Amino acid sequence: MAERDTSRDIDQAASDWTARLDRGPLTPEGEEALQAWLDGDPRSRGALLRARALSMFSESAQALGPDFDPADFEEPPPPRWAGLSRRQALAWGGGAAAAASLVALGVGLPAAAGTLISTDRGEIRLAPLKDGSTVLLNTETRIRVKYSAGERRVTLLKGEAYFSVARDETRPFVVEVDGRRLSTVQAGFRVRKLDADPVDVLVNQGEVDLAAPRRATVETMALTANTRLTLSAPGVGRPAVAERPQPIAPEAVTRELAWREGKLAFEGETLKQAADAFARYSDTRIQVPDPDLAREPVTGLFAANDPAGFGRAVARVFDARLEQKGDEVILTRDRTRASGSH
Amino acid sequence: MSDADRQRTRWFLRNILPHEPALRGWLSRSAPPGVDPGDVIQEAYTILAELESVDGIIHPRAYLFQVARSVIVRHVRRARIVPIHTVDDLERLEHPDDAASPEQHTIDRDELRRLAHAIAAMPHKTREAFVLRRVKGLSQREIAARMRISENTVETHISRGVSFLIDWFGRSGNRRSQTSRNTEPEIAALDGRARHQSRH
Repeated sequence: MAERDTSRDIDQAASDWTARLDRGPLTPEGEEALQAWLDGDPRSRGALLRARALSMFSESAQALGPDFDPADFEEPPPPRWAGLSRRQALAWGGGAAAAASLVALGVGLPAAAGTLISTDRGEIRLAPLKDGSTVLLNTETRIRVKYSAGERRVTLLKGEAYFSVARDETRPFVVEVDGRRLSTVQAGFRVRKLDADPVDVLVNQGEVDLAAPRRATVETMALTANTRLTLSAPGVGRPAVAERPQPIAPEAVTRELAWREGKLAFEGETLKQAADAFARYSDTRIQVPDPDLAREPVTGLFAANDPAGFGRAVARVFDARLEQKGDEVILTRDRTRASGSH
Repeated sequence: MSDADRQRTRWFLRNILPHEPALRGWLSRSAPPGVDPGDVIQEAYTILAELESVDGIIHPRAYLFQVARSVIVRHVRRARIVPIHTVDDLERLEHPDDAASPEQHTIDRDELRRLAHAIAAMPHKTREAFVLRRVKGLSQREIAARMRISENTVETHISRGVSFLIDWFGRSGNRRSQTSRNTEPEIAALDGRARHQSRH
């Protein structure tokens, strides 16, 4: 078995065993199977304890008297989807004969909200998905995963993620970002959505199709490997820029994706831009009050978790002075003519 | 169920289960990303199930949180989380919501009402079978005869009823999470490599 059971699966099995034990004594084979299940996962025994405790608890309904009619306790009908999705939730893992009718109820329902995965500042995490695809989340990123029979959908809510998509011709992998859809059968690509910037897509391997925005007249756009695309932001006061994929050198792709190794790569970015990049990864802030120094170009590969180390390296190169105060690293150029130049 | 089993189950029902919503709430807020509260709760219960004796546990709620914390630490150690900064996330776990518990340990009227509501909300056939078994005390065989269904189907209904209660009581006050679990199986365990690792 390749997949690890979810806690939900375990609860389902625990409920099944509780019902079986409730039916009567187990056969020797049954005993053996139960033992195997209990030993198979560190969660089983606890789940069974809970299931049996709740079963025991349900006996106290006898206190409601022999005339207890559950219909008296029915809540006013909930919104339609809530009631049905509960049944659907119960039905999915059952595999039991009687589940068929319940599964039928689930057909055509709006799917549930999906599962959120996120990282804090300074974290990178790899989230393996059920189909063999993976998502690598960069710092301060949040995604929602929602797989259905028709598509494998991941919504990038914020931050930056690298998607390694396993091939599945029948079920496209769709990344939704700001209401736009990027879909692929198999690819490796990065999507970035930071507060201040327009969404940025970078395709490393394979091909990714960008669906046209609603009401647009243009066709779907295919993005191939080593292509980068900035989505036009529909934001207020920002002129819509034509979306055109830009070819990008393989070295540049590697540099853009250096974060996957916990590194930051710069090649000619200004010191200010580099300092801002570090700010995404830690609480330490690199301050460059001198505008000339802030415009100096930076090149190199640095550890994302070590802004102070970056500061020291930069100070040496630009002959600057480094001062560290708590969470602040301040870079200043040591010159006495400071205000005299204008 | 052996007497010892029954006693442990009853102890668990009275002293631990009432704290599950609080524990789940704390875990959802405090557990590192990728550590599933559902997994932690089940593993913590396993530890409680395997204790030689629970007589020494004076503060079950605090004990439960402490056990859950130890489970998280284990999960974090085997998860493939790459922290690139030095802040110890585990610090956040140091202070569980340990306020004195206001929960009742005996089954009171409110709890009975909640149970009645839970049963009422079950799908009809499941509800019928479940009430006949747990409330009216018929055996599964008798229920099969009365409902004109097979014993296996009765067993399935009982199982589904228990599942329903796990849902209802474990996630009380947090109905939204019930829907989100529809998609939970889509996510392979985030501590993927730890699959089928046994506990030592």
